[in-house]
Amino acid sequence: MNAWFNGLDKAFIKALRRNWFNLLLSGISFGAFLTIWWLVSAWFHGDWPFGFRDWVDTAEYIPYPWVVIQAFLDSFSHRDPFSELYMGDHIYASMKRITLGFALAFVAAVPLGLLMGRSRKSEAIANPEVELFRPIPPLAWVPIFTIALGFIWGPIVMVFMGIFFPLLFSVRLGAKSVDPLLIDAARTLGANKIQIFTKVVLPSTVPYLMTGVKVGLGIGWMCIVAAEMLGAVGGGVGWYIWGTAQVGRYDLMYAGMATIGLLSILTTGVAGLLEQRLFKWMGTK
Amino acid sequence: MDGDQVGASIRIQGLSKVFTEGNRSVNALADFSLEVRNGEFICLLGPSGCGKTTVLRIVAGLESKSAGSVVVKGREVVSAGSNRGMVFQEFALFPWRTVRRNIEFGLDMSQVPLQKRQEISSKLIDLVGLRGFEDAHPRQLSGGMRQRVGIARALANDPAVLLMDEPFGSLDAQTRNLMQRELLRIWEATKKTILFVTHSVDEAVFLADRIVIMTARPGKVREIIDVGLPRPRDRTSREFISVRGKVLLELDEEFEKARAKEMAQRAPARAASAQ
Amino acid sequence: MISAGVAVIVVIAAIAAALIISNQGGKEAKSGTVYYVTLAPKDMKASLSSGQIDGYIAWEPYVSDSIVGGVGNILEWSDEIMPNHPCCVVAVSTDFVNGPDGSELTSRFIKAHLDATVWMNNALSHKNSADYTLLVNMAVNFTQRNEIVVKAAFEHITFGYQMNSDFRSALEDFTDMYIETNMTTNNSLTDRGYSGVSDFVTKYVNGTYLSAAGSVAASDTILNPSDPIRLGYLLGDLHQMAQVVAQNTSVTGTAKSLFEKYGLNVEDATGAPFANGGAVMNAFAAGAVDIGYLGAPPAILNHLNAGVGTLIVAQANSEGSGIVVAANSGIVNLDGLVNKTIATPGPSSIQFLLLKIALQREGYDLKIKT
Repeated sequence: MNAWFNGLDKAFIKALRRNWFNLLLSGISFGAFLTIWWLVSAWFHGDWPFGFRDWVDTAEYIPYPWVVIQAFLDSFSHRDPFSELYMGDHIYASMKRITLGFALAFVAAVPLGLLMGRSRKSEAIANPEVELFRPIPPLAWVPIFTIALGFIWGPIVMVFMGIFFPLLFSVRLGAKSVDPLLIDAARTLGANKIQIFTKVVLPSTVPYLMTGVKVGLGIGWMCIVAAEMLGAVGGGVGWYIWGTAQVGRYDLMYAGMATIGLLSILTTGVAGLLEQRLFKWMGTK
Repeated sequence: MDGDQVGASIRIQGLSKVFTEGNRSVNALADFSLEVRNGEFICLLGPSGCGKTTVLRIVAGLESKSAGSVVVKGREVVSAGSNRGMVFQEFALFPWRTVRRNIEFGLDMSQVPLQKRQEISSKLIDLVGLRGFEDAHPRQLSGGMRQRVGIARALANDPAVLLMDEPFGSLDAQTRNLMQRELLRIWEATKKTILFVTHSVDEAVFLADRIVIMTARPGKVREIIDVGLPRPRDRTSREFISVRGKVLLELDEEFEKARAKEMAQRAPARAASAQ
Repeated sequence: MISAGVAVIVVIAAIAAALIISNQGGKEAKSGTVYYVTLAPKDMKASLSSGQIDGYIAWEPYVSDSIVGGVGNILEWSDEIMPNHPCCVVAVSTDFVNGPDGSELTSRFIKAHLDATVWMNNALSHKNSADYTLLVNMAVNFTQRNEIVVKAAFEHITFGYQMNSDFRSALEDFTDMYIETNMTTNNSLTDRGYSGVSDFVTKYVNGTYLSAAGSVAASDTILNPSDPIRLGYLLGDLHQMAQVVAQNTSVTGTAKSLFEKYGLNVEDATGAPFANGGAVMNAFAAGAVDIGYLGAPPAILNHLNAGVGTLIVAQANSEGSGIVVAANSGIVNLDGLVNKTIATPGPSSIQFLLLKIALQREGYDLKIKT
């Protein structure tokens, strides 16, 4: 395990040095975003010279950036008003759901995607069900899953539904897109059918798989609010957003949204790191 | 390297291949016969669509035959196998593997242990002149270097024959010339039997012991020309130019025939009077 | 000897005094936690019968639904927790009421609401009347529950429209509790321009239109033919029956509905029926609702926290909620809820607040299930 992580810090510093200018651009862009946000808030609050005071109805819907930042920082040290949990607890609860939902989706989507990609018959068999369930918005499943599967598994399966389909389609596309020339080359090098699958098809599919993972994770986080609307034992960031919006505490709600954004970046980042390690391993194994 | 010093490495007799797509069928090859002796360098030359790549793929076992027999080293060709190595025009390297690991692919398939694998791949890396690039990925290499990997990889299983499908077609002129000389060097070091498909007359005359000129579709052998020149060959020498001329003559005639046939297919009424 | 005896008595007295004083907090040395999860009331019966939850608190008809169905028993009605507690209210958008004819339209609306409420109370106290049958049918349609459930549900709701001092002081208590639990803050109060909780309730609960409603007469012409009042309300919420009655054309004896009788063109707002009070307040903020029925808590919270411009102009009902426990659970009082899981409609609902109040009185906490 150590071998995986040592060299990571050196790689990080190297990446930093190479990309400093782009990082600077990103920083400036984010700063500009915060400024525009502040301006819009000021406008809604009527604090700007040409402010619209009679829009006071909607002023609180666009709180000032520092109000949100303050609320975000406070949420870690103050219990929230309705579940009496710290933001740390919410993050833990949501991370558990995302991780389990992701793991289930991975275990289901990867083999199925590979099968559907390589076997026309399998694709024909699985297609009707896949196409039937794919367009259903995860939100629609909320009441059914919560009652049928309970408060623990309901939200997890909700997250699963969000991640499963993008992952499946990515893997299937990857399996279909294997360069036939590579398969020819493998055959002339003595590979049998199983070896062609494990040593050519699988590695070819990995980039598509990783894209599917990243897209799937993003969608999983998008589902988390719907998933944690009901049940939500132990709270969760999605629950936090839903609850604070209900009582009109939009400052807290935005803090919750920012938290999800950060967590999404974190999980995608971890996926990216794993991807790099995986490629290295595939190259030299 | 192979014990069989006597007799043909490749014996093709009456090979024919028909491709059917829906209700259309194409006679790619008809009664193609060829004998390649052990350690020979043979070039297959012919107009586009004459089926030269098809011959190669059938010998490799990547394509099935419609009729005839194909025997390599005394064994009938049924499917692809490690005794026939292939080098592709588009290189077909595994992008996720390093140079060394690409070369070792065939050895992985037959589960050669680590020590031996690395011994063999190291030798091949030196042979094709890629020392220092063992841990690079294909995307970091130039076209010429990639094909060196392709050649080394095909040689790793110590195949009886090496099948090369326009291997230098994707390279620029300078690199191409260089690679031709490199290939001859490698060939002389390994003494492999090589079946080489090309478009280029110049390339064929430079490389081959014998040049097999194919007819237009359906392909069969039109003429086999024995180059008969000692290597290294001088492209500007009188003898070289003379052989080249002979080959070109045959080819041009075949081109004309192919064109005439095409026109005939398009205007059967006019063809009838031309006959 | 005597001094030793005196010393002993003094010590015993001191200990006794200490014990008595320490109990002065009003609570026994009880403590415990009740856990909650959020569910939509329509799903609570199923959840209870499958054993996922040990009980729930919801608004009618979802309480009677379980009782009539034999799935649950009533543990406590909301009027036992807090007699005459306010529940649903009628709120109006300040933009609307300050707009053209806004004042007049609002007063007329409240008149229709008032008449509807009176009619309902009359029908409910004459169970053999045709009006009662009509009301039950309307309710069955509106809530999608069967007749037995609806009839039982009506028994526990009190429909009213007055906003008397009890009503106002109850709302003050709610607001104080919300500030205490940080659901809203004193800053929000001052941000909205109120000097304190009493000031807030005095200004926010506006009785002007209710008083004016007294002198509203029937009208043959519609005052707002091309500009309908956009009405918000909650899905299947029996508490808000008044607006259903006011739209029904069989109530007045003429072919007109109560709204039409008073010259009003009323239409469902875009997005109605809403899932909860928070959604109604959001619709107010977006300018999509002119007059809405919703629970008092979201009317309070969203106005204070998010500055939604509304006023409370009439009551719709009081009471009408209850805590249900599983039929064979053996739970007979609030003590039995400790360490159990109770479903609520959500932290912004009055039911959540009532449950919290009830438990706090016993010294118990209400926490999210973890």
